Amino acid sequence: MKQMNEAQLNELEQDLNAIRDEVLADLGERDANYIRRVVRLHRSLEVAGRVMMPFGFIPPVFVAATAALGISKIIENMEIGHNVMHGQYDWMNDPSLHSQTYEWDTVCTGDSWRLTHNYEHHTYTNIIGKDRDYGYALLRLSDDDKWRPAHSLQFINYILLSVFFQWGVGLHELEFERIRRGEVSLKEKLPFLKGFVRKGGRQAFKDYVFFPLVTFPVAPIVLAGNIGANLIRNLWSSTVIFCGHFTQDAETFTEEECEGESKGHWYLRQLTGSSNFSGNRFVHLLSGHLSYQMEHHVFPDLPAHRYPEISEKVQAVCKKHGIHYNTGSFARQYGTVLKRILSYSLPDRLREKWTAQPQTA
Amino acid sequence: MLSKTERTSALQWLGKQLFNREDPAAFFDPLLERINPMWVQQYTPARVERIEDETADTKTFVLKPAKRWDGFKAGQHVNICVDVDGIRRNRTFSLSSAPAQWHDNGTVTLTIKRLPGGLVTNWMHDNLKPGATIGLGEAFGEFLIPEAGEPLLYIAGGSGITPVLSQLETLAAANYEAPVTLLYFVRTQADIIAAQKLYELRQNWDALTLNIIATNESETPRFLKDGDLDEVNGIETRRCYLCGPKGLMDLATDLLTQRGITEDRMHSTFFATPKAALDTDALGGEVRFSNSDISVSSEGDAPLLDIAEAAKLSPRYGCRMGICHQCSCKKTSGTVVNRLTGKSSGPGEENIQLCVSVPHGPVTVEL
Repeated sequence: MKQMNEAQLNELEQDLNAIRDEVLADLGERDANYIRRVVRLHRSLEVAGRVMMPFGFIPPVFVAATAALGISKIIENMEIGHNVMHGQYDWMNDPSLHSQTYEWDTVCTGDSWRLTHNYEHHTYTNIIGKDRDYGYALLRLSDDDKWRPAHSLQFINYILLSVFFQWGVGLHELEFERIRRGEVSLKEKLPFLKGFVRKGGRQAFKDYVFFPLVTFPVAPIVLAGNIGANLIRNLWSSTVIFCGHFTQDAETFTEEECEGESKGHWYLRQLTGSSNFSGNRFVHLLSGHLSYQMEHHVFPDLPAHRYPEISEKVQAVCKKHGIHYNTGSFARQYGTVLKRILSYSLPDRLREKWTAQPQTA
Repeated sequence: MLSKTERTSALQWLGKQLFNREDPAAFFDPLLERINPMWVQQYTPARVERIEDETADTKTFVLKPAKRWDGFKAGQHVNICVDVDGIRRNRTFSLSSAPAQWHDNGTVTLTIKRLPGGLVTNWMHDNLKPGATIGLGEAFGEFLIPEAGEPLLYIAGGSGITPVLSQLETLAAANYEAPVTLLYFVRTQADIIAAQKLYELRQNWDALTLNIIATNESETPRFLKDGDLDEVNGIETRRCYLCGPKGLMDLATDLLTQRGITEDRMHSTFFATPKAALDTDALGGEVRFSNSDISVSSEGDAPLLDIAEAAKLSPRYGCRMGICHQCSCKKTSGTVVNRLTGKSSGPGEENIQLCVSVPHGPVTVEL
């Protein structure tokens, strides 16, 4: 990680705080209208998807219905749920958009997400051993982890994680790896498991039982469409999230270097541990503006649609302090993620040999 | 909050499964609102039918609540919510109309005076137009007319007349026979709220004695004095109702107590003007955690999270530096100062981050 002295870190903190304060002072009707418009879009797409689905025996309608429902779930999870639960819209004082009570359309409970994501991941970002989002205790993505033979098949694990992403995220708090190591008992996890079963059951009931049953004669079509919509959402959100911290230049940190860190150091870590990707407005909306992962990680509770607006200022601050502003096209960034997953599945000697080869991409 | 939870439990259960929320009916609000704002389920919508000028700084808003609203008793108040610059603001006002009017034509009225620097009252005066909708809560409050026909004394000041108007109109309609006296204190004759209505009541209803006193028309302010009470016949037997600024209420309570009127025969209701919070003021104050029924006092710039933990509560928290919102919690009343920005919150109900919120005077938090 880039080394900065205390005075430099203080200056970084002040520079970033200035950007944040400017946005905070300007929050108002424009932001409220934005998120309400997105919520309206979500409701319209979900209604459209659910209504069209029973007519899915006509192939183009099936495609349209599945796409509408899939996109509605993506928007609800990424731009509404994730961002609302960060407290980005708490200032609106609207009970439907409040961080602590919002419950989203996915298996993971809001409470579990607020703990594992908002607190653990956003506080200990990319600190190996503390940020369990780094590889999800499933993938080896840096040489901080010792290679084991099981890692050689981790690309299959990655595919499985992406396909069943909502279930993986839902079970994240179980800390299966710590249970296996005997650090926590299953009994301690019972309250969590109860919540998981209730919410997971609710989600499965809705998409795989209720809606197929109420449209009984065409139940298989509705079931297939709903599975398809969930799959589209799983693949996309997994991909976006992997692009946020596992690209080539996204750094990792040790517990020692972060002990008793200042706010300035925390800012530096957020910037160097995250990565963006470029795209059009629609891509940014569907990614919940996590395409601006760096902006999101320094200002997780600013309304996300503001990230594109402040991106230039953040870039200027990065330039001033000599911090790499890690961005690129979606294809390039995702390519480096896949390469990281593959290369760290190899033992270190093989990996070094492979990555030492001249880049062709 | 302002929503109503009813409906059959099976439907409620199904809605929860499908829409992941405790108020499933509100899931479609963003669409319904576009079609007809009166169909919104999150709160009870009320349409502004008319706006009437009372005085230079007071207006009466005639509202038509959605059918599901439960109604009210004369003298009660309601919470309303309006979105001001993207922020939902909740405030409490007395209903100034009689329940009979609501039964007749489905309308109720709020008579609202501009508070100097008041965010919501000024916004309502300047921006609220007929045809718009606002959120309305169910009526509440114990400022109610007696069941038996006792002699009554009302002492009201300024906009404190609003619940009294509702009660007087109700009493007049029932042709209440015991004597009723109203001592109404206003700044000047031009500040009399609902003057026309009050004069009409006096004309058509013999039991009413009306005494309107202008406090600021002479060289020295003319406040309530013992002599005013001498003129009230049989004052010892009267049930007393007080509504107005704190100074008037305190004075009236003292004078009535001296005359041997006991507390159980005095009813009062008032809304304090929100005080402008000064950053330089000493911080801290009485903190009430309403869900746990614990009150503690705090000093200096201790944030609510520390105060709660010192009181042996264990609120959910995360980063403790204002980032993660794990500790966000509902404040039901009082003002807090944000440690990071130095900004003061509003006085009403809103969500705050406990870890960076420092009480500024008495605060109640749902914890």
